[in-house]
Amino acid sequence: MTSQNEVDDMIKRIQASKGVQGLIIIDSDGIPIRTSMDNDTTLHYAALISQLTIHAKRVVRELDSSQELEQLRLRSHKHEIIVAPESKYIMIVVQVPEAL
Amino acid sequence: MTQAEVDDTLKRIQEHKGVQGYLIINSDGIPIRSSLDASVTQQYAALIKSLSDKARSTIREMDPSNELLFFRMRTKKHEILVAPDKEYTMIVLQATDAS
Repeated sequence: MTSQNEVDDMIKRIQASKGVQGLIIIDSDGIPIRTSMDNDTTLHYAALISQLTIHAKRVVRELDSSQELEQLRLRSHKHEIIVAPESKYIMIVVQVPEAL
Repeated sequence: MTQAEVDDTLKRIQEHKGVQGYLIINSDGIPIRSSLDASVTQQYAALIKSLSDKARSTIREMDPSNELLFFRMRTKKHEILVAPDKEYTMIVLQATDAS
């Protein structure tokens, strides 16, 4: 079982990674429980990404009921959003890939 | 791009290690090219079209000056790559561990 310290270290490590602009963890109700971004941005991401993730998970299961969404990556002009859904939480990382 | 160049590109993608199939849908979600059978193609076209629209509006709602270029969904077995464009959307299905 990962301790709180290990979780904090992992979050710190991700945030310190080159290109990472922000990290948000939301719970299964879409409520942010950890964030490195400002309040408005966090709430905006939390609402939009939790909706999109629900939709994506449903699509994946409809295409193959034995499969579950593990990761969703959205690449746009300005950045890349990586979404890692878990049973109880969703982790969202916003980064600028080196190629940009 | 000429028709021949399109065909070559599709052939190259299909022969890429791990690629299980591709389809191209138009802006109405109608499949216009596919390497998969008809019913799988229809399923992918319908499901991915609506998800792609949702993903595009997610990006635009966060920042109206930004635009979705590409997205990918990964499961244990597969990865679905989606390249939405103005007139068409390209969808590629590949095995997750393509290396």
